[in-house]
Amino acid sequence: MKIEIKSLKKKFNGNFVLKDISLTIEKNKSTIILGQSGCGKSVLIKTIYQLFNFDNGTILYDGKSQVDIDKFSMLFQYGALFDSLKISENIAFTDFINNKTNFEKKVISLMNDVGLDKSIYHRYPSEISGGMKKRVGLARALYKNPKVIFLDEPTTGLDPINSDKINDLILKVITKRKITAVTITHDIKSAIKTGDHYYFINKGIIEDKGDCKKILKTKNKIFKTFITGANF
Amino acid sequence: MKFIENIGTILIKIFSNLGKFILFTLFFFKYLFKPKFYLKNNLLYFTNILISSIPIIALTGIFSGMVLALQSYTGFSRFSAESAIPNIVVLTLTRELGPVLTGLMISARVGSSIAAEIATMRVTEQIDALKTLNTNYYNYLVTPRVLSLIISLPIFVTLVDFIGVMGGYIVSVHRLGFNDNLYLLNTIDFLNLGDYLSGIFKAIAFGFIISIVSCYCGLFSDKGAFGVGTATTNAVVISSILILSSNYFLTELFF
Repeated sequence: MKIEIKSLKKKFNGNFVLKDISLTIEKNKSTIILGQSGCGKSVLIKTIYQLFNFDNGTILYDGKSQVDIDKFSMLFQYGALFDSLKISENIAFTDFINNKTNFEKKVISLMNDVGLDKSIYHRYPSEISGGMKKRVGLARALYKNPKVIFLDEPTTGLDPINSDKINDLILKVITKRKITAVTITHDIKSAIKTGDHYYFINKGIIEDKGDCKKILKTKNKIFKTFITGANF
Repeated sequence: MKFIENIGTILIKIFSNLGKFILFTLFFFKYLFKPKFYLKNNLLYFTNILISSIPIIALTGIFSGMVLALQSYTGFSRFSAESAIPNIVVLTLTRELGPVLTGLMISARVGSSIAAEIATMRVTEQIDALKTLNTNYYNYLVTPRVLSLIISLPIFVTLVDFIGVMGGYIVSVHRLGFNDNLYLLNTIDFLNLGDYLSGIFKAIAFGFIISIVSCYCGLFSDKGAFGVGTATTNAVVISSILILSSNYFLTELFF
């Protein structure tokens, strides 16, 4: 699915978080949204997902303004797993709450895809590590075979080794399943590894954009400072 | 000038929250009558509330009945009307103390837990996750909690009434020297169905108040640990105030 966003504006309590965002998410490509904390990245993807309304602008999904959000799924920053449900029930949530019971095979296959051992099938989220929670979140996001997957800071809170594993996993999943991916991240290494195109948001506008493989060659000073980690 | 501005800000906040609460309640009814009913979830929640609350309900009932018998004796013995104690115990419990004390205890025990659980779900983006999984949170979170409390409160009140009367019986017979058969006969003879049903009606109303207020406080909590704490406190305080104030109007209704 191709998603085109034109002059998007969104405000909270009178303050514009997204001032003027125009970008295109290409079909079956991996788009990376970069930016400082609080610049509106999460608001942007939640607005695209239709979890938030917006104040101005247009969002077109394959040229249409309406979309069935069942075609989307999301991996949340900290997994957002349901504490009272087992891992298997979290992954197969939609089937589980509709009293369907024949999800075991599909869940185990997904757990295998995201590198989870089936020994945690009956465990609760509080009994597994942060890295595992992200994998469970990813398996849950993939359970409904989405056309577009939104990944909200998938490597945040993970050590470098686990971050790398998650990046490999995301790359494998989006390539194998041929789905459109939109990832929010601060992690430049992750952006270069998993992304095709990037957009850098600063103070509610798109400050820079381009090919992920050429991120380090950017000429935009603010983005350069963001990459090198200096204050601006 | 600053003082007036502050009052204005507070009033706007109060009315805005009131408006949000009314809308929330209307949405609850909208989705209640177009339900996607998660039976397993509803039953699980109902059973959980029922089992976990019975011990505190039993304690509330027995001690209320015992104290009521003792205090009634103190008053009635001054004009030789001790024989009215069984009548007073059963009437006070079924019409008044049973539903009000149960409402307050359940507000503290269950209302706080509903608000804390939902507020935590909001803070950890689980509510957003529900939306992304195309699950309506009114159907999944609010309806089971409201229905569970509306059904369980009358059960709890019946339990408090029964255990409370037994508490009064124990104190009256074993401490104050009443005749056991006479005490029970007086209790049964004096009680009529209307007394019991007025308490049950109150219980249904209190169950609705506790659950809807607690769900609202949780779903519209501020972010962070402070937000969860405030949501929990607000749920208990607002529910308790509404229980006590609505109790007067419900009593007028059945007067």
